[in-house]
Amino acid sequence: MKKFLALILAAIMLLTLVPAMADSPVEITMLLEGCNVTDDAAVLEKLNEYLANKIGVTLKPTWGTWGNFDQLAQNAVNTGSDEYDIMFTCSWTANEYAPYAKKGAYVRLDDPEDNLLEEYGAELKNVLPELLFEGAATEGPDGEKGIYAVPGFKDFATMNTWDVNVTLLEKYGYTLEDVEKAGFYGWADIFKTVKEGEEKDGSIFYPFIFEGAVVERYVTGTPIITGDANGLLSYYMNTEDVSVPGAYGNVIFNKFATPEFEKFARQMREYYQAGYIDPAIAIGETATDTWRNAQNSANYLISSEVSLYGYEYTTSEARGIQVAYVMTTDAPYIDNTSVQGAMMAISANSAHPVEAMKFLALLNTDPYVMTLLNYGVEGIHYTLNAEGEVEFNADARATYSPWTNGVGNVTLLPPQKGQGADFQQRFAEFYAGSKKLPIYGFTFDSKPVETEIAAIANIKEAYMLSLCTGAVDVDTALPELLTKLDEAGIQKVVDEANTQLKAFLGE
Amino acid sequence: MTTITKKNPHPFRLNMVSRKTETLFHLILLLFALACIIPFIFVIIISFSSEDSIRQIGYSFTPVTWSLDAYHQVFNLGDALWRSYFNSFFITIVGTLLSVTMCVMYAYPLFRKDYKFRGFFSFLSFFTMIFGGGLIPTYIICKNLLGMSNNYAALIVPMLVSPFNIIIMRTFFQTSVPFDLIEAATIDGSGEYNTLVRIILPIVKPGIATVALLTALGYWNEWFLCLMYVTKRELFPLQYLLMEMQRNAEFLARNSSMIGASGASAIATLPSQTMRMAVVVFIVLPIACAYPFFQRYVVAGLTIGSVKG
Repeated sequence: MKKFLALILAAIMLLTLVPAMADSPVEITMLLEGCNVTDDAAVLEKLNEYLANKIGVTLKPTWGTWGNFDQLAQNAVNTGSDEYDIMFTCSWTANEYAPYAKKGAYVRLDDPEDNLLEEYGAELKNVLPELLFEGAATEGPDGEKGIYAVPGFKDFATMNTWDVNVTLLEKYGYTLEDVEKAGFYGWADIFKTVKEGEEKDGSIFYPFIFEGAVVERYVTGTPIITGDANGLLSYYMNTEDVSVPGAYGNVIFNKFATPEFEKFARQMREYYQAGYIDPAIAIGETATDTWRNAQNSANYLISSEVSLYGYEYTTSEARGIQVAYVMTTDAPYIDNTSVQGAMMAISANSAHPVEAMKFLALLNTDPYVMTLLNYGVEGIHYTLNAEGEVEFNADARATYSPWTNGVGNVTLLPPQKGQGADFQQRFAEFYAGSKKLPIYGFTFDSKPVETEIAAIANIKEAYMLSLCTGAVDVDTALPELLTKLDEAGIQKVVDEANTQLKAFLGE
Repeated sequence: MTTITKKNPHPFRLNMVSRKTETLFHLILLLFALACIIPFIFVIIISFSSEDSIRQIGYSFTPVTWSLDAYHQVFNLGDALWRSYFNSFFITIVGTLLSVTMCVMYAYPLFRKDYKFRGFFSFLSFFTMIFGGGLIPTYIICKNLLGMSNNYAALIVPMLVSPFNIIIMRTFFQTSVPFDLIEAATIDGSGEYNTLVRIILPIVKPGIATVALLTALGYWNEWFLCLMYVTKRELFPLQYLLMEMQRNAEFLARNSSMIGASGASAIATLPSQTMRMAVVVFIVLPIACAYPFFQRYVVAGLTIGSVKG
């Protein structure tokens, strides 16, 4: 009897080992950003079958939306949960890449002792541009620089552009060249002609509708300084050649205290008073909607856009007009913000970092996986036309649209309708021609001046939009703002930033 | 009495104050009522305005053109809308029933003077009113320890016990239930449960209605629990559906320069402003319709128990 019992127990023990021996696939959970996905069954079925065979992994995605991602990511990181093996991170979400890497929330991928990147993601180095890894290098909890996330290959250089409605422009006998040549300070005549022409039937037309919160960067040539979350600081680029320092050298200023800013604000005021600017973009609540609505309904002459290569095809078709993007710098420029714009990190609490790395490597190198996860299943979510371009099936796509740039290497994707078969190659080449800013790699650490910034942020918030859209009188508002900023201690912030920048540049 | 009637030509009413004061009070109450109702009327008007009108003149009580587009869009949500409507009702009804039951069962012993641990349990519930555990510990307990994630429990359980309601209920017991009644019932051979259900509860109906209304409102308007614990779309209540639209729009507006051009297409897929307002109407209507049924009890609850004039 005893023997029999022992036999049964041994048999049961063996049985429990079977699944382990059969090498069942490991489930990897992943938190994505900005998705609009309500039905992922078809995609996951195909994807998991492929992944299980290829690397012994299945994927369980959580489709974060713009609205809930921050909360989900923060909950997971702050509670030290192992809920997500892989998490989207970047320089602008709540699980901000640099500070959270420093906090130890993510696995170091190029850890000299356990180099996941080398071991399981060697091909990544061949596929992704070197400078993406440069930009991804950040300080970890041990104070050493390392790579804590796989950077996404997307439009990694910033292109601040004027979005021009060429169809409307040509209707009044102007050419794109006229707009380029005249520049921001010389558009009054063009605006006047077009406004008068368009308003002949008694309607109201505003030729100049833009994103008031950032348009000042386009005119004065000041990139976002990583870490300056409230946009208080200006670094002046050389817009003729963004790779060399501008006229001021590598110095950071109080954004509002420069002659450049004042000149810009005065010009905006002039346009505003002449009725060229829609008052609705000067009001925070309506600004973005108004700006995007005007663009989408082709109800503008000149607008602003942080554009990307080939974007004019997309918008021209969507808006039914010819759209052109006029760059405000000589080449797209590379700064930390754009390079760290979309990344995938492996959670430090993940039980399967190796499998997660294997999956990330595959996602960024295998067109099948990337296309499936991003565009859905061929025949359901999209079809390929004769030129090999993707044509979406609108109904199915409406239930499955992850945020393309937030997934990974977009150059693996087939071109969309109208882009041409060699689009991805041209895309990659175009961005290979982008230039690094002289202060590339610099991140402002606002910790030492936290209290000042908290006070300043509110003051700035009250003035910024109305000053940058010309809605208030520069002569009264600007001096008022400057005095308030001084009282709140902006000089201390600027000094701190310059000290840090000097240290960074090794001067 | 006669002198009063002579001085005042108007017929005498109980608790009457001078005409001037009464007009003043009415005026104040009228303004207060307007302040409550006007925003809602405004929302309804916006939901019936056309997008063009909003683009041209912004939100207005008198839009340039009217349109039903927003409601078409809402109905186009189809299953998502009805599913979340069902969820909202389900959570509210189940949540309210459970919550009120617990509230009464907790408050009743606290009211009984012959209960030994009254002080301790009063303190226990009162304490959580002042000191909370904080967001992260609460999250860990709910999610990891109690497994409340992506299920209805996550949307119901965290709000089951409200110390505030318990205190209301206990006070209500104290003011409306004479202790002699319980003694009398005991002498007549009624058990504890029988006393509570057959004798006490009918007396405190108005109190229960008040607490139920508060709880139901709480459940109906709750979206934060969903944001914290639920990612499955089939479980979203209506209120969260609206919050998600709103949060998406806000996030994209704030970060449009970071997300770049792909943010533009994302914004284009977002629900329009008028549609968001139409969803608000959908959210407010049921609870506004339910209110009159509760109102009788709430008013009774406010006046009963005190010494009557």
